[in-house]
Amino acid sequence: MTLLHRRLTRDGLNQLIATSPTDATVLRDEHRASLSARFRAVVAPGHRRLDAWGVERAGRGGDEFRWSPATARRAIGNASLRRAATQPLTIRDAVRDELGDQMLRAASGYSRSGSLAHWLASAPHPVIGLVTAEAVNWATQLHEVATWLDAPWTIPASDAYYDVAAARTTLRARRDLVVRRDDARVVLRVRSGSPGKSAGPGLRADLTVEALADHDGVAPVRFIGLWPEAGVCLSVDGTMTDLRSGARDLVRTAVAQRRRGTLLAA
Amino acid sequence: MTIVLDSSPTNVVEALRGDRSKRPLIDIASASGLRSLLEDGIYEVVGAQRLDPPLVIRTSSLQQRFATTDLSLSSIGRIRGVLITQLLRLLSVGMLIDDPFNDALTAWRAQVTTNELIDQLDRLDGDERARLATDLDAHYVTLTRALGEIPSRWMPRSCVRSIQRLSGGNVVLRDAIDLMIGTPTSEVASIALFDVTTSPLGEGAERSMRYHALMQTLRSSVMPLRTCTFSSATGEIWIRDVDYELLARSVDDVLACVREQWTAR
Repeated sequence: MTLLHRRLTRDGLNQLIATSPTDATVLRDEHRASLSARFRAVVAPGHRRLDAWGVERAGRGGDEFRWSPATARRAIGNASLRRAATQPLTIRDAVRDELGDQMLRAASGYSRSGSLAHWLASAPHPVIGLVTAEAVNWATQLHEVATWLDAPWTIPASDAYYDVAAARTTLRARRDLVVRRDDARVVLRVRSGSPGKSAGPGLRADLTVEALADHDGVAPVRFIGLWPEAGVCLSVDGTMTDLRSGARDLVRTAVAQRRRGTLLAA
Repeated sequence: MTIVLDSSPTNVVEALRGDRSKRPLIDIASASGLRSLLEDGIYEVVGAQRLDPPLVIRTSSLQQRFATTDLSLSSIGRIRGVLITQLLRLLSVGMLIDDPFNDALTAWRAQVTTNELIDQLDRLDGDERARLATDLDAHYVTLTRALGEIPSRWMPRSCVRSIQRLSGGNVVLRDAIDLMIGTPTSEVASIALFDVTTSPLGEGAERSMRYHALMQTLRSSVMPLRTCTFSSATGEIWIRDVDYELLARSVDDVLACVREQWTAR
């Protein structure tokens, strides 16, 4: 595995991007078919959703998801920074505009129950304030990283999703910044806290899903995980070895989830 | 340089930012030296063995070096501290606060489902709750008078966390800065750290200021411009320019704390 560890500094980050491999690996139909067969072999009672967090936790389920200022910050923060990149707005104003749009969506009936917009529309005033504070923190942090970059960057409109054919499985990869380097791309993902022992497998899972979600199966040449709270970054290269390892980890996570489900049922 | 003011300035944020033309260039060279000092110092204490669980250093670990009674560490004091931090977070994004106690409590409950402090708060009777609310109102008024409005172009961020694993994970340093303004991407030093406490300022507050500056330097590899601590109990504010000497003193504080924890094991 090509796991590199660096301090999160302007030079360190730009060096990681500049030294990324030049040739991108491409996943073909036979790779997709093989992955689908492996997931089909792991029967699930319902629709299965897997991501890097699941891989890092070896399939252990966490607490039930609920919206909170901490869980809302990334969605609002990224959308606000995308807004601030195209309009002359401060980050705080962009966050306010984004929150306003979300609440307007709920008020006009375009949001479903359980969505972020729906939760925000019913949240009390101080909670909206705290969501604003968390989103400003996230967006400012991402803005600082983006300002450091020498290469052109964009903020993707959504995370990467891939539905595995006939396996009732959806894979998801988080991505916060996409850096273009000639014809290739380097993807950056921001995480809270500090990287644990399973951070590498988590990054590889994100790398694999990102490649699968690409229309032509082109993998990013490098996938970089940033942990600004710890001031470090890790990266994996988009080689076929790493992509295969990522796919294996995702399948193993599905197996671990099924075993846990069976044990609970017993 | 330590600035001790007998009354709060009209605007703490302005005092923290100071005159832009007098700011030094950013220092990105000191962080690695400080990290080496910490690593060497920890190795002298702990050696090469693997610690499980690791020694954890927080701001609170540095506050009390000796066994003394500190009212800010009582449960009511801690609840008041959490609530004033929530209010600072709301103020940092320009939210209007109508009812400090209830607004802070609503914000706090949205962040955490349950914990020991919230349980204690829920167990307070009506009189105790009213006393806490009145107390918090007083602290809030002191804070808002001193803080003033925080312009969004100064990129204020609240409750900025940092974590550093040293000596292969044997020692974990944790920190949360109440309010940070400025950016590490500027050509000149511009980051100012603001810490609010609901107790009067003492020796522990000085150590906390240094620790915040050290953690920010280790996290971002950029030395901050200033660090300050504000007491919402007395309106007193201490502001220090950050330099290598201040950070080296914080390294000594941390190593002393590591030695204490190691001896107590």
